[in-house]
Amino acid sequence: MKALSCCNLQWIRSSLSSKSALLSAEQVGVAMPMVHDKKHENTYTRTFLGVEYIHSDVEAQRQQHEKLKQRLYALPAIVPNISKMDKASLLGDAIAYNINELQAKLQIMEAERETFGSTSRVSPGLDPNKNAESRIRGPNITLQAVDDEERGKVGTLIEKATNSTAAEVDPRLLKAIKSVVRSSDSELRLAAHTLMDLMKRDHSQVRYLTLLIIDELFMRSKLFRTLLVENLDQLLALSVGFRRNMPLPAPPAIASTLRSKAIEFLEKWNASFGIHYRQLRLGFDYLKNTLRFQFPNLQETAARIDRERRERERRTREILQNKFETLKTNFSSVKEEIRATVDEIRQCLDIVRTKEECMPPILLDDEDFVEFRPAELRQIRLDSLKEGEKVHENNDNKVVFDALRELYKLLVTKHLASVQERISLLIRVEVADNRSRDSMLKELIDIRNSLMSVKKDCEESGCALPRTAKNNEEEEDFWEEGNFGSTENEITTEPGKHKEVESSNAEEKSKSIEDRNFKKSNKRSESLAKVPASSKVKAKDKDCSNLSSKGKETLGSENSVRSELLAEAPVLKWGSFLDNWGSVSNRDTLANQKGLELDNHWGRVDYDAVIPAEKIAELNLQATIYQEKLGEIQPCRAPLNKGALCQRRDLKVCPFHGPIIPRDDAGNAINQNSSTEDTDPDSGSDLVEQLAKQAVKNVREQDKEEARKRKLAKQSLQREKLAKVREHNEAVLRDAAMASTSISAAFGEDMGETVGEGSVARRNKQTLASMLRKKVTTKDRLSQRLLNTRATDATIRQMTQGEDATYKEAFPNQW
Amino acid sequence: MWKEIGDREMGKIRPNSFSSQIKSNRISNLQLSNNKDIVSPHRGSVNSLQVDLTEGRYLLSGASDASAAVYDVQRATDYEGNGLIAKHKCLFSVDKQHEKGHKYAISSAIWYPVDTGLFVTGSYDHYVKVWDTNTTQVVMSFKMPGKVYRTAMSPLATSHMLIAAGTEDVQVRLCDIASGAFAHTLSGHRDGVMTVEWSTSSEWVLITGGCDGAIRFWDIRRAGCFLVLDQSQSQLGRRPPVLARSAANKVNVSKSLSAGQNSLGKQRAPQKKVSNGHGMKQSTIGRMPTKGSVRQRLHPGMLSIQDRATAHYGAVTGLKVTDDGMYLLSAGSDSRIKLWDLESGYNTLVNFEVVRLQTSKAIQLAISQDSAQVFVPCMTVVKAFDVWSGKMSLAFRGHYESVNCCWFSSQDQELYTGGNDRQILVWSPCQPIPDDTDAGRVKDEDNWSD
Repeated sequence: MKALSCCNLQWIRSSLSSKSALLSAEQVGVAMPMVHDKKHENTYTRTFLGVEYIHSDVEAQRQQHEKLKQRLYALPAIVPNISKMDKASLLGDAIAYNINELQAKLQIMEAERETFGSTSRVSPGLDPNKNAESRIRGPNITLQAVDDEERGKVGTLIEKATNSTAAEVDPRLLKAIKSVVRSSDSELRLAAHTLMDLMKRDHSQVRYLTLLIIDELFMRSKLFRTLLVENLDQLLALSVGFRRNMPLPAPPAIASTLRSKAIEFLEKWNASFGIHYRQLRLGFDYLKNTLRFQFPNLQETAARIDRERRERERRTREILQNKFETLKTNFSSVKEEIRATVDEIRQCLDIVRTKEECMPPILLDDEDFVEFRPAELRQIRLDSLKEGEKVHENNDNKVVFDALRELYKLLVTKHLASVQERISLLIRVEVADNRSRDSMLKELIDIRNSLMSVKKDCEESGCALPRTAKNNEEEEDFWEEGNFGSTENEITTEPGKHKEVESSNAEEKSKSIEDRNFKKSNKRSESLAKVPASSKVKAKDKDCSNLSSKGKETLGSENSVRSELLAEAPVLKWGSFLDNWGSVSNRDTLANQKGLELDNHWGRVDYDAVIPAEKIAELNLQATIYQEKLGEIQPCRAPLNKGALCQRRDLKVCPFHGPIIPRDDAGNAINQNSSTEDTDPDSGSDLVEQLAKQAVKNVREQDKEEARKRKLAKQSLQREKLAKVREHNEAVLRDAAMASTSISAAFGEDMGETVGEGSVARRNKQTLASMLRKKVTTKDRLSQRLLNTRATDATIRQMTQGEDATYKEAFPNQW
Repeated sequence: MWKEIGDREMGKIRPNSFSSQIKSNRISNLQLSNNKDIVSPHRGSVNSLQVDLTEGRYLLSGASDASAAVYDVQRATDYEGNGLIAKHKCLFSVDKQHEKGHKYAISSAIWYPVDTGLFVTGSYDHYVKVWDTNTTQVVMSFKMPGKVYRTAMSPLATSHMLIAAGTEDVQVRLCDIASGAFAHTLSGHRDGVMTVEWSTSSEWVLITGGCDGAIRFWDIRRAGCFLVLDQSQSQLGRRPPVLARSAANKVNVSKSLSAGQNSLGKQRAPQKKVSNGHGMKQSTIGRMPTKGSVRQRLHPGMLSIQDRATAHYGAVTGLKVTDDGMYLLSAGSDSRIKLWDLESGYNTLVNFEVVRLQTSKAIQLAISQDSAQVFVPCMTVVKAFDVWSGKMSLAFRGHYESVNCCWFSSQDQELYTGGNDRQILVWSPCQPIPDDTDAGRVKDEDNWSD
C-alpha cells in the first residue's frame, strides 16, 4: 500500500510538472488543432479514394462516434491528471482540470495584474500614502525596487496582501498565494523569507496580516514549518513582543490584537505540531511557564464547558429520578387527597344548586318573550336572565359558599399546581419502564381534566372572585355595589313590577358596561369621566330609588361642578406667590429666623427684626412676562436660479430678495398695490381707458421684470464663476502651504473637509501610514495653543510685569 | 559514509581517522534534538553543565535557584507522543529544601573527575560543597571569602585532590578534599576571579581568569604565577605541527619576524613539550633574560611589567584549554574570543566572528574532542567556531534568553546547553527516522485543503 501511494505521489508530481509545462492557454490551443488536422486528413483521403458515402443514419452515427472517440483520446495529451481511460472519467478529469486549475491560475493572474496595474497607475512621487510608507520603510525602499524581480510572484503577492488596512487578508489573494506556494519548494522558501522580512516591518498592521498568512501556510506545509521553526524565537519576539528591547510597533490597538493572535496561533501550532518540533514546544513552554502569558486555552475550555454541561444534565436527571421515585411511592395518597377535595366541592355545589332550584321557575316567564318588542332588548333580557340563573350568595348559603371558596382556593393553588408540576416531571424524566410512567401520566392528565372542570364549575357558581377584582379595587367596589343593588332588586321586587325593573336594570347594566369601557380607556381622568355617565343615570334612573344610586347622584353632581370649574380655571406658572394662596396674611414675619424659633445654641433670635406684612405682600406679587404669540413667519418664496423658491424665513425683509410680499406658486409677486390702485380710479369715468392703461402698464412691468431677471441671472452666474476661481486658488495655495510639515498636512486635511469632496475622499481613504498618524485630540490642540513659545513668552512677560509692578509699588522710592 | 566504511574495510584509512571523520561529520550535523528532552526542574537560570568524565552518562546541572540536578542522558525516564519524545527527568536534585543545601545561586557544579560518587558545587552563598551522589548529602563544605564564581578539578590529577575556586576575592583558593582545608591561596589577581581551569597537559598547572582582564598561570608547586597572558604579544596563526616543524623552521622565523614579533620564543618552541608544568615554566623563565630590559622580579618568576599584562579589556569570563593542552581559548566581556598559544604565551590573532557575549556572568565554553570546534554561548545563540580559523560553522538557536553554559559530550557527540530561560537543550547529530506504523498520532505532512 505504501509503495503504491508513493508511486502514485511520484506520478502526481510528474504530472504536476507536465502541467506546468502545458499550462498556458495558447499551448492548449495549439494542441487542439493538431488533432483536427488529422481528422481532416482522414476524411479527405476517404473522399479522395472515391469511397462512396452511405448517407444512412447508421453511418452518420458511426462517424459521429468515431469523431467523439478521437477527440476524447486527444484529451489525455493536454490534461495531465487522467485517472482512468473510460470516457466518463476522462471528461470528468478534463472538466476538473479545466475549471478548477485554470480558475486558480486565472485568480493568480488577476491578482498579479492588479498589483502591476496599481503600481503603474500610481506614480510613486505623487501618492502621499506611498510617500508616507516609504518613510516608514526607510532605507528598505531602494532595495525593494531591486529585489522585486528576484522576489518573484509570491513576494509581490504577499506584499500586496499585507499592504492593506483590513482586519483580514484578502481571501482571493490568500488563495493565490497558497496555490503559487504549493507549486514549488523554491517558491515556498521565498515566501517564508519574504514573510519573515515583513514581520520585521515597523508597523503592527503589516505584521498582523503577515502573521495571518504565516498561520495559513504553517498549518499546511511541512517545509514551511521546518523553515519557520528555525527562527521561531525571532518570530515570537516580533509578534508577541516579549523582548523588552523589541516592543511591538504602533498602532497600539492593532499591536495588542497581534499579540493575542500570535499567542493563540502558537497554542494551536503547539497542539497540532508540537510533537514534531521541539522549538514549538520550547516557545510555548517559555511563554507559558516563564513569562506567564495567558493562553486562551481553547481546547481545554471547550472540554471544560462540555464537561460542565454534562455534569449539569446528569444532576438534573438524578433529581428528576428522585422526584419520580417519591411520586411513585405516594401517588395513590395524593390521588386520594385530590379526589376527596373534588368530592367535597361537588357536594357543596350540589347543595347550592338544590337550594336555588326552587327560584328559577318563578323567574322564568315564557310569556314575557312575546310581549317584548325589539330584538336587542330581548337579547339584553336573555343575558340578564342568564345572570339571574346563577346561584348567588345570600345569608342562607353563606356557610356553604365560604367552604366552597376555601376548597376552590385549595384546589387552584395546591392541587392544580402540583398536578401540573408532576405532569411536567413525568414528561421530562427518563426511566427504564415506560409503561408505569405512561399510566401515571394518563391518570394525572385525567385528574387534571377533572380538576379543571370542577374549577370551571366553581367559577360559574360564582364562588370564585373574578380576577379583575384585585386590580382596581375602588372601581370594582363601586360597580359591584351597583350590581349588588340590582340583583337585590331582582330578587326582592314583585313579579309584576319585575318587568320594568328588569328593563331599567338592563339599561343600567348596559350603561355600566359602556361606562366601564370608557373608564378603561382613560383611567387617569376617572373622576371626570364618571360625570356624564352618572348624570345620565341621574336623569333616567329616577324610579329606582336606591340608596346607592343616591349616593351616586351626589357624587355625580359634585363631580360635574368640579369639572366645570376645572374647565374654566386658568393655568398659572408656579411661583412663590402660590405659597399662601387665598389666605390673606396680615402678620409680620420674622426676618432671617427660619429654624431659629427657639433661643438655642444657634444664636439669639431677634424678634424686632421683622418684615412687615405689606412688604411680604409686595414680595409675593405675581409677576408675569409678556409672551408674544408666535405666528408662523412666512418664507420669502422669491424664485431662485435653481428654479426652487427661497425658503428663508424673515420677518419683513429677506436679505436677498427684498421685502417679503405674498407670492404665488411660481414665485411671482401678487401685486397688491395694483388692486389698491385699481380701487382708487374706480370712481373715474372711463373704465375702458383705465383698463387699457393698466394692461400697458402690466406688460411693461413684465418686460422690465424679465430684463431685470436676466440681468440678475447673468450677474449671479458671473459671481459663481468668480467664486469658483477663488476657491480653486485658495485650495492650491493651501496645498502648497501645507505640503511642508506633517502636522500642517493633518491640519490641512481637517480644513479640507469644508473645502471640497475630493479632499474628503482623500482623507477617508485609510492607509497604513494614516493608521500610524496620531489622532489630533482636543487636548493636543489645546496644548499646542497653550504651550507654544509665543504663548509661554507672553505669560512670562505678564508675570514679570506684574512682579515689577508690585515691586515698584512696594518700594516706590527706590531706583 | 559508506565509502569511508569501505575504505576502512580495505584498510585505506586508519581507525583513528575513520572515527574522527565520522565524528566530525556528526558534529557538523548537530541540531536541536526533537526526541530528547531534558526536563529541567530548575526555576532559575542554568549556570553550569557537566557530563561525568568516567561514563559520559550523567549530566550535572547547577542553577540560580540554588538547585543542582543530575540526569541520565543515556536512558530516558519516560516517553511521550507514542515514544517519539524521550523525556529525561532528573534522577535527583538538591535545592534549598535540602538541610545543608545552598542558600543562593549555584554558579558552578562539577563532577569529581575520578568517579561519579562525588560532585562539587560552588555557590553565591560563599560556600563550596562536596556532595555524595548516592546519599545526596554534603560530605564537606568550604567557606570562601566571597561569592564563588567557578570551581574546577583537574581531570588528570593523580597526586592531589584539589578544588580550585575562583571567587569575588582576589585570591584563588585550592580546597583539599583529602584534608578538608585550604591547601593553597594564590594571590596575584587584582580583582575577583571569574573562571578557573586546570591544564589538560599538566596536573600542577592552573589557569585563572579574573575580572581585571588577566589570565594567570600557576604552578601549584611553587609560589606565585609564572605566566600572565598579554594581548599585545601576538603571533600570526597557529604553529605548524611538530613533525613538519624542523623542516619549516626558517620559513617560520621569517614569518614571525615579518609580524614584528619577538621570534625567540618561537624558535625555542620545538625544544620539548613536557607533560608537566615544570618544563613549561623553565621555558618561560629561560625566556625572560633574553628580553633583557628589566630584571627585577615582583613575584618569583615574574617581571613587573608582565605582571600587569591583560588578556582582555574588561573581565575574562570563560576559559577553555584544548584537549592537548597546547592552546587556550578565552572569552572576555569585551566580546572577544582569543586563542592563545600556551607554549609561547602569545595571542594567535585568530578572529572569531562573535557579535556579542554575555558580560555579567561567567560563561562556560565547550570544545569538541579533536579541538576542531569551539562552542560559545553568544547571548541567546550558541555558536560553533572553527578553532583555527575562527569561522562560524553553526549557530544553535533555541534558547529564548541568554545561554550561560554548554557542554560537549564527546562520547555521543551531543551538545548540552543551559540558559537563563531555565531550559537545558540537547543538540544531537541526527534524528532517528520515526516509524510510520502507528497511525494514532498526528502526521507531520503537508495538507493543502485547496
